[in-house]
Amino acid sequence: MIESVICTGCGCLCDDLDVTVEGDRVIEVANVCLWGVNKFIATKKFHSKKDRRRLLAPQVRRKGRAFDISYDAALEEAGKILIQARRPLVYGLTNNGSWAQEAALRLARRWQARLEPGDLAFMAPYYEALARHGLYWTPLEEIRDEADTILFWGANPIHSCPRHVVRYSVFSRGRFTERGAEERQIAAVDIYPTETAKFCKPFIQIDPGQELELLQGLAAHLIEGQEPPKRVKGTKKLVKLLSEASFGAIFVGRGVSYGPARKLWEGLARLVVWLNTRVPFSLFPLASDFNSVGLYHLLLRETGSPYAPDFGAASGLSSHPTPVDWREVDALLVTGADLFWFMSEDQVQALKERRVPIIVLSPFANRTTAKAQVVFPVALSGIETEEVAYRMDGLPVELQKLISTPLRPDHQVLADLEQILGGSTGG
Amino acid sequence: MATVEEVLEFLPRTDCGQCGMTCAEFAALLVSRDLSPEDCPVLHEPEYAGFIEALHEILGPAEAAITAGMLIDQDKCNGCGICVAVCEYHLGNCDEARLGRGPRPQDKVVFHVVNGTAVVVHQELCTRLVQAAEKCNKCADHCPTGAITLV
Ligand code: SF4
Ligand code: SF4
Ligand code: SF4
Ligand code: SF4
Repeated sequence: MIESVICTGCGCLCDDLDVTVEGDRVIEVANVCLWGVNKFIATKKFHSKKDRRRLLAPQVRRKGRAFDISYDAALEEAGKILIQARRPLVYGLTNNGSWAQEAALRLARRWQARLEPGDLAFMAPYYEALARHGLYWTPLEEIRDEADTILFWGANPIHSCPRHVVRYSVFSRGRFTERGAEERQIAAVDIYPTETAKFCKPFIQIDPGQELELLQGLAAHLIEGQEPPKRVKGTKKLVKLLSEASFGAIFVGRGVSYGPARKLWEGLARLVVWLNTRVPFSLFPLASDFNSVGLYHLLLRETGSPYAPDFGAASGLSSHPTPVDWREVDALLVTGADLFWFMSEDQVQALKERRVPIIVLSPFANRTTAKAQVVFPVALSGIETEEVAYRMDGLPVELQKLISTPLRPDHQVLADLEQILGGSTGG
Repeated sequence: MATVEEVLEFLPRTDCGQCGMTCAEFAALLVSRDLSPEDCPVLHEPEYAGFIEALHEILGPAEAAITAGMLIDQDKCNGCGICVAVCEYHLGNCDEARLGRGPRPQDKVVFHVVNGTAVVVHQELCTRLVQAAEKCNKCADHCPTGAITLV
């Protein structure tokens, strides 16, 4: 048994899993939630809810049919796509380790491509707000130890990060929070009650368009000290909760605003700035992809912006806050995301009609691999290959290799692709 | 309680697939009590005489666990581990669980989470069985998916 293994199921990166290995297979994982176990035991027949097939050999698609080919032949096929592309896009990356993200960024640079994080619209404006306001930051352990107030905003951790509430935010007990949930105020704002609502008091249910109005109401009460012109139901309760906090955190999900989240993050950040003048209070996205946070750290470090860098722009490097216009893309490389899962049927159809070639790296078969021209199966980070990932609070952790696989790690495939374009060996 | 590894010792380990899965997967389902040793057809062959009985012994009495009063609906449970963290028995006896982490393999616990769902290990430690007077309901009360039934 290998103890204290890190789970790459979500941005919590839980570090207390005990994994039983037999030969080159994981047969049992203790302390992992249902979300995370799917990574470890892919051919899991005893939970038909999620049975995800592993990919074993590289594939190319010819006349709509997929054929297994050798790795070198797949590189050659992918090379043709790389070289012919004029407006290429590298997409996804939130479920890749940091080495793979670095390799993808190098490839994008060399390919003069645009690089688009899969959760750009939601996450990037968070980092923009963070940079603008410089909010109080604290690791999750400290929230566990000290926070007496937690607010989930459009977030259902029970669904997206199931153990978050137990490890850090609600039920966990720490140095100054010995009674766990009993001495915390837990609140949530959402458009409909979720499993999370069960332990949230108050649970503020708002209408889909009311989010910014609610935020303005909170700001009016707390920051400006006056009655807002229009008050969303629940405002007063939240005002009371926040003004009584002595240490807290807001975790934000994508539940309420699937649209552009810029105003939301800006409003929340302003609120936290005000709270920070009185008490320690943090603002975090509830990152459901395991290394989404690592990607933004990389982008900020390398390009100075959390937005989508475009290395093909005639005027030099530019970064785009708005999602890509798919009509402008003529070749796609997807890694660490199931693009076609998120796209509308019309968008998928449009790409198909325009015959945009797609190269995909993925450990599992998914909707995108089912349509791609070239598919590279890759080793699972943190299980079959070492990697690095950043937890949702920005803490980098090292992922270990538990079992062997003949499959290559994704950073190596990306480096090999870069080399086709004349890159150095990478590494 | 039995681990998958211990249980595997008493399975044919041939991965013949007659049960529809591998021996290791079969073992995991024995531990979670979704299957019983009789469900492996190979164990009924003469060369494995005594294995079924041995498996029953290491797995412990399944029926007792059910009549004693805790049922976890494997289809509802998502392995969040809230039950493990709030359990009245763990509060005084398992530091890891109390603090919100997964129990260590050697810790004695009422239940823990294995392969994404809660599994009962030591039903007899549940305070409902020890103190008849005041009945604890914490795990069932806090379970967000309504997976736990105490009877
Ligand atoms: S909460 Fe996330 S990191 Fe933790 S076990 Fe579940 S999927 Fe893995
Ligand atoms: S039927 Fe028995 S021997 Fe065959 S795979 Fe299943 S458990 Fe193993
Ligand atoms: S009833 Fe109480 S003591 Fe028994 S398992 Fe549930 S929480 Fe623990
Ligand atoms: S609290 Fe409920 S859903 Fe969570 S692990 Fe326990 S039984 Fe499963």
